Amino acid sequence: MSDRRGAFSLPGPTNVVPLVLIGVMAGVLSGLLGVGGGIVMVPAMAMLAGIGQQRAQATSLAAIVPIAIVGALVFGGAARIDLVAAALLIAGSLAGVRVGTAVMHRLSDARLTLIFATFMAGVAVLMLLT
Amino acid sequence: VTVPGLPEVIALAILGLAAGFLAGLLGVGGGILMVPGMVLLIGADQHVAQGTSLVVIIPAAISGTLAHYGARRFSPRDAVALAAGGIAGAVIGSLTALALDAEVLRRIFATFLLLSAIRLAWPIMRHRASLDARPEEPKTPADPRG
Repeated sequence: MSDRRGAFSLPGPTNVVPLVLIGVMAGVLSGLLGVGGGIVMVPAMAMLAGIGQQRAQATSLAAIVPIAIVGALVFGGAARIDLVAAALLIAGSLAGVRVGTAVMHRLSDARLTLIFATFMAGVAVLMLLT
Repeated sequence: VTVPGLPEVIALAILGLAAGFLAGLLGVGGGILMVPGMVLLIGADQHVAQGTSLVVIIPAAISGTLAHYGARRFSPRDAVALAAGGIAGAVIGSLTALALDAEVLRRIFATFLLLSAIRLAWPIMRHRASLDARPEEPKTPADPRG
């Protein structure tokens, strides 16, 4: 996987305009809902900019950094951030992401995604009903 | 900022663990899990849950980006174009969120969650035979590097 010579000559220069528009869409979603926006960016890059799944995931993650910083600054300015909770979540997630990445290749992603999607749908219904 | 009690501390650490695990495994699941988790488990205000989620996403995204950059899996030029639009969008989106009533925002979030669940499950349900393969295989030709 690593150390691919000349990988920055990745397939062709991508059109900038669709990327900027996808960015706007993802940024609005991220700021509005407090999420990264990858769930919109990754498929949109595949459909509108012809960028494959893996490259799209990596690109979207890089774009999420400034997007989340801007959103966090706006929410922070309005005192809508709980820093203690954030610190606890960060500590937990840094450990969790290692475990998740480590077992990524040993588990069937499709089954897990289905379980996760079902769980999300349940949470969504719960949030709508309560 | 209030000091949470022990149950809240444990709930938040486990929530972070679960969010990180899913993010590492599936590439999604950070904010999508943390926001409802904070709202439902510790009774956080919808706005605070979203603002806090954004803060947590930052270090996770930075560490992932450094790993992908090291392995040269993306073009910085693409990321800059995406981020340029994204920053403008983030200002619009976050100001809109702050202007909305918490109850309205919560319902919008729940609807987004439901749509995201469908969007994750859809390609798999359509190709049930490939249940043991990786989900969402790119329809575009495989990355020539891999």
